[in-house]
Amino acid sequence: MTDTWLVTNLRAIRGRAYPRVIGSKRELSWLFFDITLPLLTVSAYAYIYKYIQAPDEFVGFVILGGAMTAFWLNILWMMASQLYWEKEIGNLQLYLIAPISRMSILAGMAVGGLFMTAIRASATMVIGVLLFGIVLSFAQPVMLILIFVVTMISLYGMGMMFASLYLLLGREAYHLSNLLTEPVYLASGLYFPVKALGFWAAAGASIIPITLGLDALRQLFYPGSGAEYGFLSVNTELAILAVLCVAFLWLSKYSLDYMEKLGKTTGRLTLRWQ
Amino acid sequence: MAVSHDLRTFKNAAWLGWQMEANWTDPFVFATYSIVKPLAGSLILVFMYIVITGGETQTPFFSYMFIGNAFYMFVAEVLFGVTWVIHDDREHYMTLKQVYIAPIKFYTYVFGRAAIKIAITTVGVLITLAFGVIWLGVEIDLGAVDWLVFIPALLIGLLTILIMGLALGGVTFLTAKHGMGINEGIAGVFYVLSGVIFPITVLPGWAQTISHLLPVTYWMEALRRGLSPDLMASLPGSTGLSDFSNLEILLTLALSTVAFLFISTAIFRYADRTARRKGKIDWTTSY
Amino acid sequence: MQSAVEVKGLTRVFEPKKKKEGKSVTALNKVDLRIARGELFGLLGPNGAGKTTLLKILSTLLLPTAGKAFVAGFDVEKDFTEVRKRINMVSGGEISGYGLLTVKENLWMFTQFYGMKSSVAKQRIDEMLAQFGLADKKDEKVRTLSTGQRQKMNVIRGFVTDPEIIFLDEPTLGLDVNASRVIREFIVDWVQAKDNRTVLLTTHYMMEADQLCDRIAIIDDGRILACDTPENLKKLVKMNRTLKLDVTSLKDTSKFGSLTGVEQFTFQDDAEKDQTHLKFILTDDSAVTEIISEVQSKGARILSLQKTEPTLEDVFIKMVGKGFE
Repeated sequence: MTDTWLVTNLRAIRGRAYPRVIGSKRELSWLFFDITLPLLTVSAYAYIYKYIQAPDEFVGFVILGGAMTAFWLNILWMMASQLYWEKEIGNLQLYLIAPISRMSILAGMAVGGLFMTAIRASATMVIGVLLFGIVLSFAQPVMLILIFVVTMISLYGMGMMFASLYLLLGREAYHLSNLLTEPVYLASGLYFPVKALGFWAAAGASIIPITLGLDALRQLFYPGSGAEYGFLSVNTELAILAVLCVAFLWLSKYSLDYMEKLGKTTGRLTLRWQ
Repeated sequence: MAVSHDLRTFKNAAWLGWQMEANWTDPFVFATYSIVKPLAGSLILVFMYIVITGGETQTPFFSYMFIGNAFYMFVAEVLFGVTWVIHDDREHYMTLKQVYIAPIKFYTYVFGRAAIKIAITTVGVLITLAFGVIWLGVEIDLGAVDWLVFIPALLIGLLTILIMGLALGGVTFLTAKHGMGINEGIAGVFYVLSGVIFPITVLPGWAQTISHLLPVTYWMEALRRGLSPDLMASLPGSTGLSDFSNLEILLTLALSTVAFLFISTAIFRYADRTARRKGKIDWTTSY
Repeated sequence: MQSAVEVKGLTRVFEPKKKKEGKSVTALNKVDLRIARGELFGLLGPNGAGKTTLLKILSTLLLPTAGKAFVAGFDVEKDFTEVRKRINMVSGGEISGYGLLTVKENLWMFTQFYGMKSSVAKQRIDEMLAQFGLADKKDEKVRTLSTGQRQKMNVIRGFVTDPEIIFLDEPTLGLDVNASRVIREFIVDWVQAKDNRTVLLTTHYMMEADQLCDRIAIIDDGRILACDTPENLKKLVKMNRTLKLDVTSLKDTSKFGSLTGVEQFTFQDDAEKDQTHLKFILTDDSAVTEIISEVQSKGARILSLQKTEPTLEDVFIKMVGKGFE
C-alpha cells in the first residue's frame, strides 16, 4: 500500500460524497420533508406514552429512536439500493473501470449520506427536545461520542454490505428495503427499550448495529435508566459494536469482491433491467 | 367510449401495479412479505404498550389504538404507493414521460396503480385485525358490528385517501429525490392529528382545531364506532368527537371528502402545469 | 514496441440465467487481434456482432470464457488494476453522472476516481470545455444540456484523465453533423498529439471508420472477418472501378483499349451535342493519367469525368453478407 494509493482513494471518497453533500444544499425541499415531517411520527409515539402516563424518559427514548430511524432509512434507501440504481443510470460501469477500490465509492456514498442524515437526525433531536421539554444528560461525553461513532461505522458497514447484495437481487431490492423497515424498527427497539423483547430476541436483534447503539445512547442520556430498561451494560454494548464494526467492514469488502466477480463472470454487472 | 377508455387505462395500470408489487417473487414469499410488514408495524405499538402496562392488553384503549393503527395502514400505503408511482416511473424506469404523453387520463393511471395497493393492503389489515382479536384480546365482535356505519365509512374513507394521494402525486412532480419524504410526512400528519392511535384530546388546543379539519379524523372515529360500538362506549374520557352522532360523523366525512376532491384536483392540475412549464416531467435528480 | 491491445483466442459465451430460459449465446468466438500503440483502430460490425462484448472485456467489466486479452501489456483478467490505471471509456447515448450537479462538478467528480489533484483536474476541465465550445455551460446543471452537449461532456469525461488507451463505443451515436465533426476532429488530434495514445473505436458509421481509422476490423457473429487498413480492405472487393468521360468529339479511339490498366473500353458518339462518351473498366488506377493524356493528344477537351470506387460499405456487405440493419 502506498501513499499514492491512499490519496487516490481518499479523492475518490471525496468525489462520491460530493454529490450527496451538494445535493442537500441545492434542493432545499428536503429540509421540509426530511426534517419537519418525520418528526410527526415521533410525536405520535411520544403522545401515546404521555397518554398512558409512561415515565418521562420514554418520550426521550422515542425521540432518540426517531433520530436513529433517519440513519436506518438512509442505509436502506440511499446505501443498500444505491449500487443497483447506479447501474441503471450507467454510472456503475464507470466506477468499475476506475483504478480505485470499490470500497471507496461505497465509502463516499456513506460519508455523504451520513452527513445529510446527521443533520436530519440532529434536527429531530433538537426539535424533539424543545417540543417535549425532555432533559438529556451529557455526563459522559466521550462515551457518547465513542458509542455514536462505532455504531455509525458498523451501521454504514452493514449498508455497504447490503449494497452488493442488493445489486445481485436487482429489482427485488425495493421490496427488501420495504420489508426491512417496520420489522427492524420493531426488532431494534427504536420506540421502546429493546429489553422488552426478551433476552434472546434482543440478542438476535443486536446484529443490527442500531439496536445496541441506541440502547447504549439511551443509558448514557438517561443515567440510572440502564438498570431497569437497559439490555446490556454500556461497556459490553461498546465491545460488541466494535466487533460488529470490523465484521461488517470485512463482510462488505468480501461481498463487494464476490459481487464483482460474479457480475463479471455472468455478464450481468452492467446490463440494465436485470 | 371515454368511460370504457378510462376503465381500460385503470385496468392496465392496476395490472402493471400488481406486476410490480407481486411479480418479483413466488407467491409464498410475497404472502410472507405482505404479512410480516404490517404485523411488525402493529407489534411496535404492542410492545410500547406492554412495556408500560406490564403486559395488560385487554383494555379499551389498547383496542382503540390497535384498530386505529390497523386501518391507518391504508393511509400510509396508499399515500406512499401513489407518490412512489410518480417517483419510480420518472427517476428509475424513466417511463413517466411515455405514460404522460399517452392519450389517457393520467389520474386514471395513478388511481389504477393505487387500487392494487389498496387490494394488497386490505389483506394486511385483515390479518393484523385477526391477530389482534385472537392473540391480544382486541375487542371486535362480528355479531355486534354496526355494518351500516362501518361499510359506508370504509368506502368513503378509501376514496378520500385516493383523492389525497392524487394531490401528493402532483406534488411529487415538482420535488426531487428526497421528495419521498412527502409520503412519510403527510401520512405522519394524519398519524399525529387524526386520532389514529390516541384520542385527539391529548393534543394541544391548536392541534385539535387542525384535527377537526382532517377527514381521516372522522374516518377513524366512524370505523371504530362501526366495528366495535361497545369499545367506544367503554373508552374513558372523550375522543374529541363524542358529541357527534354516527350520522353526523358520516356526513362530515362525506363533506370533507368532497372538499378534498376539489382541493386535490386543483393541486394536481397546478402541479401538472407547473411541472410542464418547468420541464420536470422527465427529469432525474439522482445523486 | 509493446501492443496497446492484444487478444488471443478470446471467447465469451453468455449462459441464460436459468437453463429453461433459452440457449447460450456465443458473443465472441476465438478472436485474435493486435492493436499497436498509437493506432486509431476501428471495429465495424452489425448489432449483436460482439463489439461491445469485446470492449467490456478489454475495459475489465467482463471476464472472457476462454482465451486471453492484454491491454497495455497487462492481463485484463489478473492485472485489472494496472489496466484500469491506463484506460477510460466513452459510450454513445450515455446518461452517466448526476443530474443535480453542474457540468464542471460532474467532470470533476469523475476525475477524483482517477486520483487527479483537484486543481489540475479543474484546469484541464476548463481547457477541454473551451475546446468543445462548452465553456459557457460549465455551471449549468447536466440535466439542462442538449444531447450533443451531453455527449461532448461524456467525451471530455473519458479523455480528461489522460488515458493511454481509450475505448469509444459508438461515440457519435445520434449526434448532429456539427457535434459529430467536433468529436471526430478531437479524437484524431488527441491520438496524434502523443506517440503512445491509442483509440479503439466501434462505430456504425462507415464514413467515420473510413475517415478516422488507421486500421479496421470487421466483426460479425463473434468472429473477426477481416482486419486491415481501409484502403487494403477496399481492395478485397473485386468490384470494377469505372471511369466515365464526356469529351468533345473524338475521331480516333483505337488506342484506348490497349492502354495498361484498362480492362474494357466502350464509347458512343453523340452527334447532336458533338460529344463522345467514353467508358472504361479499370484494373489499375494509374490508367487514369494515360487515358487523360491520350484524350488531350487527340486534341479533344474533357467536359466531365466520373470515377467510381468500392466503398467500405461494399467491403462490409461482401464480408458480412448484409448491410447494417
